[in-house]
Amino acid sequence: MNNALNTIYDGLVRRNPTFVLVLGMCPTLGTTSSAFTGLSMGLATLLVLMCSNAAISVLKSLIPDKVRIPAYIVVIASFVTIVQMVMQAWMPGLYSALGIFIPLIVVNCILLGRAEAYASKNNVLLSICDGVGIGLGFTCALTLIGIVREVLGTGAVFGIQVYDSDFGALLFVLAPGAFIVLGLLIALFNRINVK
Amino acid sequence: MKSTLRNMVFSLTGLTLFVGVALAVVSLITAQPIADAGRKARIAAMSDILPRFDNDILSEVIECEDGIFLYPATLEGVAVGAAVETYSDDGFSGRFSLIVGFDSSGVLKGYRVLEHAETPGLGAKMSDWFSMAGSRHCVLGTVGALSLSADGGDIDAITGATITSRAFIGAVNKARQAFDNYNTGANE
Repeated sequence: MNNALNTIYDGLVRRNPTFVLVLGMCPTLGTTSSAFTGLSMGLATLLVLMCSNAAISVLKSLIPDKVRIPAYIVVIASFVTIVQMVMQAWMPGLYSALGIFIPLIVVNCILLGRAEAYASKNNVLLSICDGVGIGLGFTCALTLIGIVREVLGTGAVFGIQVYDSDFGALLFVLAPGAFIVLGLLIALFNRINVK
Repeated sequence: MKSTLRNMVFSLTGLTLFVGVALAVVSLITAQPIADAGRKARIAAMSDILPRFDNDILSEVIECEDGIFLYPATLEGVAVGAAVETYSDDGFSGRFSLIVGFDSSGVLKGYRVLEHAETPGLGAKMSDWFSMAGSRHCVLGTVGALSLSADGGDIDAITGATITSRAFIGAVNKARQAFDNYNTGANE
């Protein structure tokens, strides 16, 4: 049990995929123009990560070493496709908000990275915990970046207008602002976490 | 498992077969809800962009040439306008579709983007950009064919998303064309 909680904490803080591992930068920069899309993207990735880590951990003895990468990608892609079809059927608003970033979860380095580094070498329970931890770390990071960018860029967050949007800095809604916010948050996170 | 040719072929084939079946099952289960969600989105969009109507608008669809669909709206039998479902293949990420609402005198009353794969924060802004009242890029209230200011017209493109903007205006013009053809036909 301790091991499981430790694994989750690892993914959330000590091995946070955005601020420490610096993986999955493309969807991070692309979906955080608003806090809500950042949060949704993080949750979708969390779900796929849990499922793919579990499946790969179950199958790890059945996949020959030389074809492990194609096999992992097939597993990850199938879960992403299932999530995409389910979202399109029952969450159409979210589906159109995230658009092309849903299928792009397949090529998110986090998933293949955790499959290779963790799920292929540990049992199912720990792999699921790793998925939960890394997924939560990713979700928190994306939501935080999304909040910062949306408040600075448009004056609103989650539908609440904090200040007049005329005073928002458009820079933070566009790509350069995303890089700047991300870089500063990485520095802040690592400063707080220096051990 | 050792990486012999036999093992590699069997494991990959088995995995892809299993995944193929699973995806087919999920696709079957979600096909109806996806179609229903599409219908609901269309009716909700049309209620927003057309004057009040009470006919079963989806069943009275008229298919115009090359994939444009016109939905006439009537209130107690009197025509109040029409919604035209149009599309463009020239979007930044390929095809996107939208519905444009016209009232019976041909004024563009509103639009809704239905499906698109444009970049969030850039091309995806077409959902609100062209309906900002009072701006130099509002298409609401127009009565004729439109073009971007970059192409000599009056409508300002989305900053940093000219390709999407041009495709959007093209789709709106196609809808305008279909509506004008229908309107002149209906008035004869």
